Amino acid sequence: MMEKKFDVLTVNGLPIVQAQFNWSVGVLMQKFLKSLANKKFLAAKCPECGYIYAPPRNTCAKCWKKIEEKDLIEISGGGTLVSYTVGYVELDGKANWVDLKKPKVIGAIKLEGANSLFFAPIEADPKDVKIGMKIGLEWNSELKGGWKDIKHFKPVS
Amino acid sequence: MFRNCAIIGCGQTKHTSKRRDVSAAELAAEAVNAALVDAGITMKDVDCVVSGNMQGFGGIAQPEQWLGDWIGCAGKPAIRIATGGTTGGSVGQGACYTVASGMYNVSLAVAWEKHSDSKEAGATTGLAHVGMGNLFHALAYGLSLKNLIATTAVGAAAGVAVYQARYYMQRSGCRQEHLDMVAAKNRRCAAKNPYAHLQWPNCQPEDIAKTDLIAYPFRYGHVCPASDGASAIVVAEEKFARKHCKQPAWFKGLASYSDEENQLQSENYGGVGVIDPSEQMGARVSAMKAYKMAGITDPQKEVDLAEIYQPFPSQELIFSERLGLFDEGTAWKHMEKGETDINGRLPISVSGGVNATNAIGSSALQRILEAALQIMGKAGEHQVPKKVKTAVAHGWGGVTNYITFTVLGDTPRG
Amino acid sequence: MGYVKDERPETMMVEGDWQVGAYRYKAPRLLEEYAQNLKNKKIVGSLCMGCGKVIVQPRNICGRCHRRMEERKIVSEWGSLTCFVVSPPVVKGKYKLFGLDPVDTGALKEGEVMIPVFVRFDGSDSNIACLLFNAKPEEVFIGMRVKAVWAKELKGAMSDLDGVEPIR
Repeated sequence: MMEKKFDVLTVNGLPIVQAQFNWSVGVLMQKFLKSLANKKFLAAKCPECGYIYAPPRNTCAKCWKKIEEKDLIEISGGGTLVSYTVGYVELDGKANWVDLKKPKVIGAIKLEGANSLFFAPIEADPKDVKIGMKIGLEWNSELKGGWKDIKHFKPVS
Repeated sequence: MFRNCAIIGCGQTKHTSKRRDVSAAELAAEAVNAALVDAGITMKDVDCVVSGNMQGFGGIAQPEQWLGDWIGCAGKPAIRIATGGTTGGSVGQGACYTVASGMYNVSLAVAWEKHSDSKEAGATTGLAHVGMGNLFHALAYGLSLKNLIATTAVGAAAGVAVYQARYYMQRSGCRQEHLDMVAAKNRRCAAKNPYAHLQWPNCQPEDIAKTDLIAYPFRYGHVCPASDGASAIVVAEEKFARKHCKQPAWFKGLASYSDEENQLQSENYGGVGVIDPSEQMGARVSAMKAYKMAGITDPQKEVDLAEIYQPFPSQELIFSERLGLFDEGTAWKHMEKGETDINGRLPISVSGGVNATNAIGSSALQRILEAALQIMGKAGEHQVPKKVKTAVAHGWGGVTNYITFTVLGDTPRG
Repeated sequence: MGYVKDERPETMMVEGDWQVGAYRYKAPRLLEEYAQNLKNKKIVGSLCMGCGKVIVQPRNICGRCHRRMEERKIVSEWGSLTCFVVSPPVVKGKYKLFGLDPVDTGALKEGEVMIPVFVRFDGSDSNIACLLFNAKPEEVFIGMRVKAVWAKELKGAMSDLDGVEPIR
């Protein structure tokens, strides 16, 4: 317990100091990211229990079986919206709250052909969004084999 | 109340400087898989998972959140333990406590480190982020940058270990050649260990003496690497252990002792009451407690093999004395005679030890794992020729803060 | 080198950083007290009324007794070396601290040989890490008697205690 008579000083960290990292993604995730350049959205199907993960992973979380490159399947990248929220403010990376000009819809998408949920911003007006609506993805014109190849997710009729 | 428990399976990954073929989660899962296969059990048999790593080195905050289901935590109680360099030792002891207490029957302990995920070479990022608050605090009061850099950076890779080596050499008469001999022994032994990092077949002291000096007495050839790797062990209670394993490695005694911090100065730049970083009171006391628990009265005669946590060769000598394996100031004489080599009277760290393989979070768990392999007779090419009835494993963290010490045997307690 | 090599494929990497400098730490004013006393060439430590240890630089809780250390004691300018390290001559680009090169920042000169030491000032029970000046590496030994070297201009900062030098 700090006694009241201890005067406390605030020491600021130097903002220029950063610890920098580059995290390896592993073989299956690399395959997934590179396939985006061919407009392919891959998923991994567990050879034992059949649970399908998108994006893929090399160990099944349910039955612990190893999942390999041969177990990768292609899915459409679209699905059904099972839940969503709407954001009105954002952090600017310097501990400040910024009001968004356009409110952002973040959706939980049950991808078609997969068992796992995928969370992504949905390009839509909040008042047009309904749970259960069909969601599809739009590709970027320039494809480099990374997340930016997906331009955005949007409602499809 | 301590019910009997033993290690029935061990798994590790190959340690290299860059395991960029896998993500951190996949790396830990590799070790877990190997341990389950070795124990001959499935993930369903495991009741509890204890994990740990040094998060600043791999840059993943609260890694147990991501790695949880990769290491089998789904549906089970999971704990993460972090105690500096001896994280692995605490993780191994933690798994033992969960079983010995009677709460669970089978526990899995897994520890890992992925240094290659940090941009700067070796362990620089991790070590820097540890001293951050300390640095800013001192700079705020006008600490001269020159003073700071000279006192901390000059030791460079070695840091406080250089000072520690100086104290020991001054007291015991050990010379730099003896450090060359220890480093050569570790790299030679590591060449017989398929999972070790720095493998130099038939390495001799003269090879080490040719490498450049970092800061006297350390050469580049003495220093431990920064490895990517993971290790895992399966701990089971007596009935389960006897059913699944021919020769389990039984926990006979364990202890852990923390002392005052001593990173040259305290973390907020206050002084510390520990003058001599080679004194290591934590090592003396935890060894005393663990030997008592294991019923060992004369460690010099009763211990068959030791796995000591030694990132630097001077520490192998210092700790072997502090842990009661040699008389004070004589470790280097015994080492000179070959007593600590694979064929020797008291083999020390014949897996190569931390000197040849250092994935920080997992290193201390690896010591327990290697000691267990020797008792189980599964160490392969680096299995010692003599029968190992009692083996000890040691872990060291902070500078003087944390020590874990584990005594394993080929028969259960009582 | 005789090391066995292990080559593995490399997968893609995701970049990122931890803004370690973004924190605002809270600290007691003990170091401030110590620094201000240096202006008057006084080295201050905290005294534990339980075990009698004097800790320089001051801290608020004794590491062994867990008592509050509220008493202060001034220790001598003279002391003994408890440990030392001799650096090889400084080479530019060989070592970086927090992304900064010591030679680039002007903190060290290329070719300089530094002798960082641990000093225990008389009356203190702890070490201070600082530099040894005006000494040749060959003549340094553990137990050598040294005295404090003060900065030319005393500002009430940690850098007022520049280092130590041998007593001849």
